[in-house]
Amino acid sequence: MSATHIIGVFDSKHDLLMGIEGAKSKNFTIEEIYTPYPVMEAMDALRRKSRFTTAAFIYGAVAVVGVLSFLYWTSVIDWPINYGGKPTNTFPSFIIITLVLTILTVTILSLFTFSLKARIYPGKKYFLPDERSTDDKFIVLFDKRTAGAGFEAISSALKASGASEVYEKEF
Amino acid sequence: MYKAEVRGPLILGNKDYRQITSDIIAPIDNKTPGWWKVAMAVAVTMASIGFFALYYTVRYGIGTWAVNNSVAWGWEIINFVWWIGIGHAGTAFSIFLLILRQKWRTSINRAAEAMTVFAVGCAAVFPAIHMGRVWLAFFIFPYPNTRGPLWVNFNSPLFWDFIAISAYLLISASFWYFGMVPDFASIRDRAKTKIKKAVYGALAFGWTGSTKEWMRYEGLSYVLGGIAAVLVVSVHSIVATDFATSVIPGWHTTIFPPYFVVGAIFSGFAMVMTLMIIIRKYYHLEEYVTDSHLNAIAKILVFISLIMGTAYTTEVFMAWYSGNPYEMFTFFHNRITGDYTFMFWAMVICNAIIPQLMWSKKIRSNITVLFIISIIINIGMWYERFNIVVTSLAKDYLPSSWATYSPTWVEIGIFIGTLGIFASGVLTFFRFLPMIAISEVKSVLKPTEIIEKH
Repeated sequence: MSATHIIGVFDSKHDLLMGIEGAKSKNFTIEEIYTPYPVMEAMDALRRKSRFTTAAFIYGAVAVVGVLSFLYWTSVIDWPINYGGKPTNTFPSFIIITLVLTILTVTILSLFTFSLKARIYPGKKYFLPDERSTDDKFIVLFDKRTAGAGFEAISSALKASGASEVYEKEF
Repeated sequence: MYKAEVRGPLILGNKDYRQITSDIIAPIDNKTPGWWKVAMAVAVTMASIGFFALYYTVRYGIGTWAVNNSVAWGWEIINFVWWIGIGHAGTAFSIFLLILRQKWRTSINRAAEAMTVFAVGCAAVFPAIHMGRVWLAFFIFPYPNTRGPLWVNFNSPLFWDFIAISAYLLISASFWYFGMVPDFASIRDRAKTKIKKAVYGALAFGWTGSTKEWMRYEGLSYVLGGIAAVLVVSVHSIVATDFATSVIPGWHTTIFPPYFVVGAIFSGFAMVMTLMIIIRKYYHLEEYVTDSHLNAIAKILVFISLIMGTAYTTEVFMAWYSGNPYEMFTFFHNRITGDYTFMFWAMVICNAIIPQLMWSKKIRSNITVLFIISIIINIGMWYERFNIVVTSLAKDYLPSSWATYSPTWVEIGIFIGTLGIFASGVLTFFRFLPMIAISEVKSVLKPTEIIEKH
């Protein structure tokens, strides 16, 4: 179902941050911000928090236990080989391969997590409110139903904060 | 009081964001230049020679090479280590400088990562073809099989190598590709033709640049960066243990892992310098890859060159200090003097002596000289690997099994082929992909301005 959106266009990061501050001070609810490069302050303003590193740590921990168990199983239980009477559980020589296989596992799972959570995958249908946001503009998007004010109020607040353009769009 | 500029401006010419996008995607939008076509033709010819040599090897076997019972590792392992070494700097550049928050990386990391992917791909050819029956290469995978429940030897550095290189290729390629996704979206949204919009749109994976995407993108970059930093060190340490865990004189030494890692980063940084000079010259990107960038790479090269010189000296010193006659023979009668004298001294001169010229600011600001030095370093690093591999194997403990080694046309052909594959890969990258990370360069255009929270 389409809805009317208000789009604020800014020319620089500085103006964008002023705009966000202006909108927040008037309790307008920002739906999303689109930027040509990562802007930490914009993520903070929308209280975006990622648990990516926690997920990666869990993948790593599971991989370490999994790989070591697998190596123990192959070397001690499934097919023990007698190398001149040395013990079959050669733990120190498992460490390097465990490290490398853990890295491989974390890489693969992190890529899948990124793809799923950020919804970045081949053939994805996307929608960009303003195509200039991948080039040189910083876009602040409001959903008119949830923004907390009308076009006039938002437009004047954003323009006062340095927006170069504010317009409405239905999508 | 101290207002000294450590580094010049990262981007010259008072650019705005739009100008940056235009400048960097200009090579994609413009017509294919004539020099590119000539270079590509040469690269494809070289790659074809390589493919023929590979076919010849598979058709007639390893007997077409000059390797023998004594020198069982010849050019193939030299080239493998050389390519892996070159492949190291891309990730070293991206990862270490990312973690250290060095902003000057932004103009260079993309090309360095591309170089890594192609170089590691070239490196992977050699161990695979060295197996002899390459169609049975899948035996190296640990999988339940019909040869009894027999597993691969998980304790072997050669197996570690296989896993490490596979992981390295995957992580480098994904780091490179996902780094390009926002830039593909920039190209997609500026594309004027439907085909270009469709192609770059498909490559962009539906990227929009929302905070949700950027946040996870940053998360992925740091996670991949963090673990790849460990991988960079471990991959080449493992390559070193292929040698160091043997009992061959000249190989059985604890200095090998750090020596290999530093050597790898040395050759890789030299190759980065070569590529950046080409990019800046032929695509007129001097305002992005500035003299200051090349100066920074040159300083790193001088520093690493000193470590290389120290490593060479340490090896020779330890051979003498250990009192081991075999080590003494290897270093003093088979490297410093003897059949392979040229290789040894070429290594020392190219890697430890010539780079010292870059102490001079005059040299560091002369692009032609820097280009020549970067090529010399890569030649020197090839000689280093020749020294390590061939001299130790040719004359080991038993004089009755001493042998000499010089490659056949098939081995030379495979090496030429990988040079061709690398060059054609890099040229394709120059022509069709954003050579400089557009979004990252934009992020360092202006000093960070933060609204003070009230």
